[in-house]
Amino acid sequence: MPPFVSSGRKAQTLSQSFEKQVLDLLPRLRRFAIGLAGSPADGDDLCQMTIERALARRDQWQEGTRLDSWMYRIMRNIFIDEGRATTRRRETFVAEDAGLAVGADGAQEAVVELSMVDRAMARLPDEQREAVLLVMVEGWSYKEAAEIVGCPVGTLNSRLVRGRDALLALLENVR
Amino acid sequence: MSVTEEMLAAYADGELDGEDKAAVEAAIADDPALARSVEAHRALKARLAAHYAPLTGEAVPDRLAALLQPDAMPAKLGGGGEVVSFAAERQRRGLAPVLRRWAPIAGPAIAASLVLAILQPWQGGAPEGYARGNLAAALDTQLAASQPADAKTRILLSFERKGGGLCRAWRGADTGGIACHDQTGWKIERQFALSEAGRTEFRQAGSDADLLAAAQDMAAGGALDAESERAARDRDWLP
Repeated sequence: MPPFVSSGRKAQTLSQSFEKQVLDLLPRLRRFAIGLAGSPADGDDLCQMTIERALARRDQWQEGTRLDSWMYRIMRNIFIDEGRATTRRRETFVAEDAGLAVGADGAQEAVVELSMVDRAMARLPDEQREAVLLVMVEGWSYKEAAEIVGCPVGTLNSRLVRGRDALLALLENVR
Repeated sequence: MSVTEEMLAAYADGELDGEDKAAVEAAIADDPALARSVEAHRALKARLAAHYAPLTGEAVPDRLAALLQPDAMPAKLGGGGEVVSFAAERQRRGLAPVLRRWAPIAGPAIAASLVLAILQPWQGGAPEGYARGNLAAALDTQLAASQPADAKTRILLSFERKGGGLCRAWRGADTGGIACHDQTGWKIERQFALSEAGRTEFRQAGSDADLLAAAQDMAAGGALDAESERAARDRDWLP
């Protein structure tokens, strides 16, 4: 019979490492959230909801499987499920928003460049924007991205192509 | 084999192998337009990656990191224990102790703040007497003009207080109040506990009226309109 760690102690070790691991993933998760939601404020709200849901459902995460794709899946599900209410807000503000605050201290051209990408991304349908972000920004393979989204690889591929074509058309004039 | 748009993009992403990859490479060799298309896909990917890359270098906001502090225990109810744990927590994290300033707040409001402590179990993001968690997030981001109709916490109005500084009145299912922004966060200035009975239309109207009356007493002028409110949010609620 293999030796057993006392269950209480094991649970505590697991829970601490879970929180630490999520903390380590936060910069990437936050980037995905801000890309999905379209602004740092909405992205941070999405991050918060994702963390809260992950903590509440940590029992559903299988130790030894990838925590990052599990977290990404939670985040995109919340965004798709609860994003409806905020869609109106995004449409209202997207026209005036100067884009992400990053690079605000940089050259003027850089600021314009950032805001063009943000505006183009904001005009994509949610499912195309998430496919673009997962593959082109977050670096997931098509197969991994399809698993996060919960769709066939072919569907992800075609969403990605439509999103790319739209972005290329929107950004063409400012290249 | 004909080459589809999907195959071209997948090729540009390094997702193809075997027959498909060979087919795309053969097609590209024959058609400079396809080669340019692959180049455009790669350039777009590089541009997007570069655009979003700086975000991972930013500091994660405290309120998010605080959710993941293993020792961020929910506040214990009752007497001085709560105060000690907050002070100890701040001391542990190398933060200056927070002065308790209950003077402007009446007795019932203290009871109401305990209600808030139960409703906002994640501690560590903001010191005692300041909004935390969902409430802080709503105060930070939600606009009275455009918030979702079913928002758990509703912003009633935003206003500039006498002496300067921005304040917002909110109401949730069980509590409502007024918070004013300072360098620490959203300091809770007034708070009303709304009992179960308070959910009837009549009492709700009364509670909102209480809140609005309190806001009017504090305000330097009228409530901010939608545009001023958004402008205030865009400058992080700084005066």
